[in-house]
Amino acid sequence: MVDDGPPGDEGGADFAADELESLRQFFRDEAHEALEIVTARALAAGSGTLTAEAVTEMMRVTHTLKGSAGTVGLHGVVDLAHRLESALAPLRVGSVAWSPAIADRIVEIADGMRTHVDAVDAEQAGLLAERVRVQIAELAKAGRDGDAVPRAVDPIDSGSRPRRSTDSMVVTDESDPGRTSMSMKVPAADQTTSHDGRVLRVDAERVDALLAAAGELLFDRTRIERRVQQLRTLARDLGRTRQTLRDDVSRLRGASTDGARISLEDHLRGVENHLAEQSTQLAQATSALLDDTEALRRTIASLQAGLTRVRMQTARFLFTQLARSVRAAARAAGTRVELRTTGEGTEFDKAVAEQITDPLIQILRNAVVHGIEPTEERLRRGKPAVGTITLSARQESSLVVIEVTDDGRGIDTSRLRAKFVDDGKWTEARARLASDADVLTALFDPGVSSRDEADEMSGRGIGLDLVRETIARLGGEITVTSLAGRGTTFLLRLPVSTAVSMSLLFKVGGQVYAIPNVHVESTALVDADATSLQVRGELVPVLALPHVLATATAPPAAADRRTALVLGYAGKTLAVTVDKVIGPREIVVRPLGPLLSPLPLYAGATVSASGKVQLILDVAHLARLAHPGAATGDEPAPTTLEPRRVAGRALVVDDSRAIREALTTMLAREGWIVDVAEDGSHAWQMAQQLRYDLVVSDLEMPRMTGFELIQRLRDDTQLAATPVIVITSRTSPENRRRARDLGVRTMISKPVTRRKLLDALAPR
Amino acid sequence: MIVFAIGGTRYAAELRWVREVITLGFVTEIPTAPPGLVGAFNLRGTIVPVLDLPSLLGGTHPATPRQGDGALLLEADHAIAALRVDTIDEVGTLNAGPGVGTVIDGRGRMVAVVDPPALVRRAAAAAWAVRGIPAPADDTDEPMEGWPGAAPEPPDVPELPGGDGHG
Repeated sequence: MVDDGPPGDEGGADFAADELESLRQFFRDEAHEALEIVTARALAAGSGTLTAEAVTEMMRVTHTLKGSAGTVGLHGVVDLAHRLESALAPLRVGSVAWSPAIADRIVEIADGMRTHVDAVDAEQAGLLAERVRVQIAELAKAGRDGDAVPRAVDPIDSGSRPRRSTDSMVVTDESDPGRTSMSMKVPAADQTTSHDGRVLRVDAERVDALLAAAGELLFDRTRIERRVQQLRTLARDLGRTRQTLRDDVSRLRGASTDGARISLEDHLRGVENHLAEQSTQLAQATSALLDDTEALRRTIASLQAGLTRVRMQTARFLFTQLARSVRAAARAAGTRVELRTTGEGTEFDKAVAEQITDPLIQILRNAVVHGIEPTEERLRRGKPAVGTITLSARQESSLVVIEVTDDGRGIDTSRLRAKFVDDGKWTEARARLASDADVLTALFDPGVSSRDEADEMSGRGIGLDLVRETIARLGGEITVTSLAGRGTTFLLRLPVSTAVSMSLLFKVGGQVYAIPNVHVESTALVDADATSLQVRGELVPVLALPHVLATATAPPAAADRRTALVLGYAGKTLAVTVDKVIGPREIVVRPLGPLLSPLPLYAGATVSASGKVQLILDVAHLARLAHPGAATGDEPAPTTLEPRRVAGRALVVDDSRAIREALTTMLAREGWIVDVAEDGSHAWQMAQQLRYDLVVSDLEMPRMTGFELIQRLRDDTQLAATPVIVITSRTSPENRRRARDLGVRTMISKPVTRRKLLDALAPR
Repeated sequence: MIVFAIGGTRYAAELRWVREVITLGFVTEIPTAPPGLVGAFNLRGTIVPVLDLPSLLGGTHPATPRQGDGALLLEADHAIAALRVDTIDEVGTLNAGPGVGTVIDGRGRMVAVVDPPALVRRAAAAAWAVRGIPAPADDTDEPMEGWPGAAPEPPDVPELPGGDGHG
């Protein structure tokens, strides 16, 4: 039935092995995308009808898959995609009636192809492919048996080269969907069955926010560079002063007359003055640099927040996957189930979505297999013949709540009580005293399973104890409620996002610790008592973690040689020795809480798969230990050791962004909550909405000058008393007089320094 | 009141500070922690520190907590911590004892009352001391100096800088 054989084998050989490997990674992602679309389309049609657009879409992505598989040299996939495309064609021209059975078959085929793609280098790949071929043949046969089969139609211009997956963010071209054979493209009308697998679909507004933050970053960099330039000049000046001083000292030795000595003394006094000036400049420059880094920190924080938002995905993709599982489970168990979903638009972090998929599949399978009764039983109880499972998602403050409800038989708590007693888990007394809620909570305990009614389906999944563990590791929780005869509800509360970090895990003194991968440069083998190590021709200090992390119960073990991790932090290199490297892992970072977070050695903790707490070491502190006395760059000024106080709310008004930034930083450092306005009229609007404890304003600004603003404040009975500080480059007597008349607290001349501002802020 | 025993000594605490009586999971040791903080374990995804009462009260070297030990889950002063106990003796309303901070238990014996918020604060102070920083002051209603409309802000613990001095 196929007249044009699989496309040529031009691909594959064009690439080096490592290139090919990374291309194949791209391809795998793309293949998952494409097969997800095929599955979603088939499921969406379900027991209804399949539109021509949906078939075209399935064929198009299959065709693209064929092309990209050829490019990366996976001819098995090319063959399967080609067969599938041909088998789908009859559906498009309507020569075959759509049925749920066909939908199931297509879903099976897509699943099989996915498995094949994932295992393409494994031994069983051939076998997997063979199975899919059989499934496709059956689909094609169903097509032939239906009606006259037209020749395989290839709707897509076969001459077009397959695109690389790097094109994936291309904007949808709706004008000519037939020609743009991109697997990632979804015409706007089809958004209800979106597919956000490996490709992130992002709101333009979020990208704008990121771009703004990136722009800010550039701004911060410029300021810091300028500051560094300033410091460099100062260093040069200091060097000159030192040279002068040295000359004077040697001249002092040779000076024989009083006159010569006196003149030298005068000269030295001059040098001292010079030094005093330079040290003031240095202090100013460092303080300014601190302010700049503070600004940088804030920019990075907003960038991070922006990126978190980009990672957000809707529940829609998760729900599609879950719908497939419910379908499969219902088919295997012979149960009639309808799945209703609400809240597909709820957003949460991709990482959270990925990790809760398996737990949710398990809960849904339980509902299908154990919850929903057989049809006869349902009818006897006066329930609708088809069982209903409701899957809903919604956001509640910083949590996503996912609810799975079935209208089945509910959990029989009295039977569970008896079972707990039989298993020796509970005493009779405990079982009698336990509330129904206690009994249901105990369902999540390790080793508890409803195996007495288990079947093949539920036996395959993960246990409920693992379900709870997985959710707990994400920082969420799960509860269950049940009404006998009426149904069961599982409620998951999950954080919207989670801090996931790639970290290197290693063992010291029998415990596992982690260090974020970004700080690990390499590993080396060193003598156990080595105190330094050559790295790239440089001698770096070695910190013996077995000693740092020694405890009374775990003294450092004896060893001749140890593995050292070479770490980089804030431009410093150091090495730490460990007992054993375990390897890199993706870990979920959990906060340490108010009692443990003061400990300087730890940046956080994670929970291992077996539920143990593993500590994450703070590389900044390790660097401080290894380089004692050296400032590591992130040290805040010692003056901020006291707990911060809120000094009040300040409004900074200046048309120069740089000055707004500088003032904001300085004021924030003194504990002010700062708002900014770029001119007088904007400031006036803001002042009318919120009471400010302080206004710091420039004088010359577009639209409304500083004096006009102050005049308005003074004329308003409520705002008249607002303290005002004026910043200006024109401290003319005229301006001074006018400022005084308007009750301006202080006038600061530009450039604004921290000192000047502090003086102005000082209580009188 | 809940009456419990640790190392042969009995103590009492007000029940309102005790969120749950729990069994410790695997306890991870925390090198460099002060003696009162004897480890941490995972309670449904939260990292919970384990406190050792005798060391917090200035006593001798702490007992190492083990998986399966009993503990009181305390919630006080915005912190959650587990206080390892050997046994729980009774729960009920107890009469005040003759001494300050004592109660009379069900069998007529005098038992010292411990104050969980004070314990938690003490543990936090010990942890801050490792950093070489005195613990943030308790919230007070004293007017703060400053200008204008200055109001005290609760100490923002994670924001505090880490000094490299090890006092």
